[in-house]
Amino acid sequence: MYDFKYQLANSQDDAVSAQSSAEDGSFLAGGMTLIPTLKQRLAQPSDLVDLSGISDLIGVSAEGDSVTIGSMTTHAEVASSEIVSSKIPALAALAGNIGDPQVRNRGTIGGSIANNDPAADYPAACVALNATIITNNRKIPADNFFTGLFETALEDGELITAVTFPIPDKAAYAKFPNPASRYAIVGVMVAHTGGETRAAVTGASDSGVFRSSEIENALGDNLDSSAAKAVSISADGLNNDIHASSEYRAHLVSIMASRAATAAG
Amino acid sequence: MNDANNKWIGKRTIRPDGADKVTGQATFGADTTMPGMIWGKVLRSPHAHANIRSIDTSKAESLPGVKAVITSADVTNYSPEKSVILGIQDMRWMTRNVMAREKALFHGHPVAAVAATSQKIADQACKLIEVDYEVLPWVVEIDDAIKSDAPILHEFIEFEGKPSNIAGTLEHKKGDVQTGFEEADVIVERSFTTRPVHQGYIEPHACLVSVSADGRATIWSSSQGQFMVRAMTSMLTDIPQSSIRAIPAEIGGGFGGKTIVYLEPLATILSKKSGRPVKMVMSREEVMRASGPTSGSKSTVKMGIKKDGSIVAAQGTYYLQAGALPGSPIRGAVGCAFAPYDIPNVHALGYDVVSNRSKVAAYRAPGAPIGAFAVECVIDEISEAIGMDPLEVRLKNAAKEGTQAAHGPVYPRIGYYETVEAALSHPHREIPLGKFQGRGVASGFWFNAGGESSSQVNITEDGNVVVTTGHPDIGGSRASIANITAELLGIDYKRVSVLIGDTATIGYSNLTGGSRVLFASGMAVTDSTEKVIVSLKERAAKIWDIDPEAVDWEDGYARPAGANAGMFDPLSLEELAERATETGGPIGAGSQLNTAGAEGGFATHMCDVEVDIDLGIVRIIRYTSFQDVGRAVHPSYVEGQLQGGAAQGIGWALNEEYIYDSEGRVDNPGFLDYRMPVCSDLPMLDTVMIEVPNPKHPQGVRGVGEVPLVPPLAAIRNAIYDALGIRFYGLPMSPPVVLEALEQGEAAE
Repeated sequence: MYDFKYQLANSQDDAVSAQSSAEDGSFLAGGMTLIPTLKQRLAQPSDLVDLSGISDLIGVSAEGDSVTIGSMTTHAEVASSEIVSSKIPALAALAGNIGDPQVRNRGTIGGSIANNDPAADYPAACVALNATIITNNRKIPADNFFTGLFETALEDGELITAVTFPIPDKAAYAKFPNPASRYAIVGVMVAHTGGETRAAVTGASDSGVFRSSEIENALGDNLDSSAAKAVSISADGLNNDIHASSEYRAHLVSIMASRAATAAG
Repeated sequence: MNDANNKWIGKRTIRPDGADKVTGQATFGADTTMPGMIWGKVLRSPHAHANIRSIDTSKAESLPGVKAVITSADVTNYSPEKSVILGIQDMRWMTRNVMAREKALFHGHPVAAVAATSQKIADQACKLIEVDYEVLPWVVEIDDAIKSDAPILHEFIEFEGKPSNIAGTLEHKKGDVQTGFEEADVIVERSFTTRPVHQGYIEPHACLVSVSADGRATIWSSSQGQFMVRAMTSMLTDIPQSSIRAIPAEIGGGFGGKTIVYLEPLATILSKKSGRPVKMVMSREEVMRASGPTSGSKSTVKMGIKKDGSIVAAQGTYYLQAGALPGSPIRGAVGCAFAPYDIPNVHALGYDVVSNRSKVAAYRAPGAPIGAFAVECVIDEISEAIGMDPLEVRLKNAAKEGTQAAHGPVYPRIGYYETVEAALSHPHREIPLGKFQGRGVASGFWFNAGGESSSQVNITEDGNVVVTTGHPDIGGSRASIANITAELLGIDYKRVSVLIGDTATIGYSNLTGGSRVLFASGMAVTDSTEKVIVSLKERAAKIWDIDPEAVDWEDGYARPAGANAGMFDPLSLEELAERATETGGPIGAGSQLNTAGAEGGFATHMCDVEVDIDLGIVRIIRYTSFQDVGRAVHPSYVEGQLQGGAAQGIGWALNEEYIYDSEGRVDNPGFLDYRMPVCSDLPMLDTVMIEVPNPKHPQGVRGVGEVPLVPPLAAIRNAIYDALGIRFYGLPMSPPVVLEALEQGEAAE
């Protein structure tokens, strides 16, 4: 780890101004990726602006046909939230299976999606549920938010404040966890919301989460699991690493989609 | 000792190290600091195989804050031509393992080390060391290493008259296999592979060493033997053992991997050169790249059986990876492979193969799981071929008292047969299996070990007891020793405190390894405690002015016996301690023994799996270990050993493996990529402890720690066959591998 200046922000404005006035400032959410990255000296920010003291970034609320989760809400809080569990149980279940208990009690939804790890779980939920990412100065549809490997639409100094999820009619997430890291080797979130079926895939592609039109067409309005299972996904462009070949990942996409569809009922 | 009347032996007493560990107060290898302490760091080879032409340390030495830089020139050299044996290690290899000498032999091999006032400066200094390498072709897999044109790691190692990567062989023969196979009705011959797996201890290697101005070294480190640390450090630094004090830290797992040194000699030399205490702590990546996993292997096993179920001949050939320097556990593979069976004709042969990998270290019954995997899989197949239940085949051929094992000994009373009987009649066997579920069984053996142990039992002035032994407590030895001492003295367990002495405070005690500690230290502590009891009786006799022979020791009291029975009030341990000065001084006794009679341990495992046929995932849904544990002095710890071994076996069978990249580097050197199982991957691992007391031990103890890793690999593989009708011949049986086999099976249909 290289030296950096630590600042604890008291408010959103405080955080944004601290970050923008720093030479190379970085927001610190739960730190579950950032801190190990710093420890391995893979990043060298001049300043870390800790968001954990900003109380209005934490919490879950339901309004009309959507659920809004503050960006500094931990995975454990989402998993145990009565609102999330009753309105979007698939999302609570997803949060409850991220990493391990230590990660779930530190890691946050905002940190996870801002990082956009290609094997993280939340991006699949955001895309499949057609969420809106709310920042300190705009609202970004999930479809436009995740732009590539560890890349997002966030501008420098832009702070995620909350994520709003439309409540789906049906949804479920199925993941094949890496036996070592527990990240998704492949995870698929399927959702049917207001007449639209979406299937978002994480873990499979180097460029991060993507929607699979083949899977969505097969699922149809009824989330037909056997049709999803029968889809043959091309291995072209999928990850190939020491844990799984691209062919195996391609196979997993249709199986996990099918299982998510079954679970969604 | 009448078991029914035991107050402490066999009871689940509270572990004496528990409170410290759950509150974070236990002191592990990296937890000790000293005033003036500086940090050591190892520079490691970036090449899998390279001659070291020269090393220039001048720039590193001139960096402010750097206090010492060392290379192999600072480490005691032993010629590669002549073995220098220490225990089961050869110091001519050990010196080349802790620091590359003529050659860097694997990616991560230490080539120099520095000590500096901060970790950051130590890092910088390592980058300033200039090593001139002549990069050489390298080889990491067995098949490649034994090819005739393979890159040779050590020109001085010859096999069949020419330089070779085959560094040694070991052979066991009994009867005549050729004749045996002629008698067989069915012969099955199969070839197998296993991958190297790491012990996976959570605590990385760590030490702090302080060498005083007059050359006396004090070492705090996490290891499986403070006396091993002292001896190896002495031999690699030329500091006499009398000038080295090795203090054992609590150990965060070892499983055999901490039976050798990596850092201690380097830190000692750095401390001696710098005049400062030097701390060294490996990162997880260093542990995975440069400490020893167990061997990968390839093997071929052929077995012949008659229709009545008698196995008449067995032949096994094993190639085990040693890593970069000789010394793979071929003894465990060839010695244990057929050991559970009474087979008239056996031939077992092992080859020790070097390649450009980190040198292997012991891992829980070293070699035996590899030996058993092939044999127990073939037994499943010959059983099927003659239409007999595989447990019945094992029962029919079970080794018993009087059986001559292929590796030499004639067994005394052993409990293998009982483990198979217990498996046959256990309710687990009756549980119906569903679709894609299967049940498999396998057995296993481990030699167990005795050897040197010392103990001291002292009675405190207030009449309590302090026991000191000389081996790190890695599996519950302190609690078990407290049970034994309390039982013998007839006092409350809580009055016995058990400590691990350092090399200056207790006599020589061999490693915590070979499943030997409770066997050997139990003997030494029993001997010491019995001496104390004799002394206590003498003191009571003196007070009463009667013959010591006329005093009994019972339930913590000296009581007049025989003609004097009832003539005096009994004297308690407290009262005798209080009057120690007037009766002869301090009360205590020590023992230093070379123990013998640690007889082999046997187990049979039964495993149920469920295969997710869409994904290829094998889930263990039920697991029961049946093991002859001799005498479970502390049953919770014994169960823990059985469960831990099964869990490690499940990892080895299903997911764990070292993966090398195209440059000869480990590609998964951390827990984000090395696939070890966690609790949520496992069902409750059930255990059945069968107690066939070891007749050669005062409490009937047999080693229990290593046998549990021997059967799981084959038990799981055989269960997968039962579920799918597919036989696997290589590990790990990971999801992509299983899925591919399923798809090939479908294609074949």
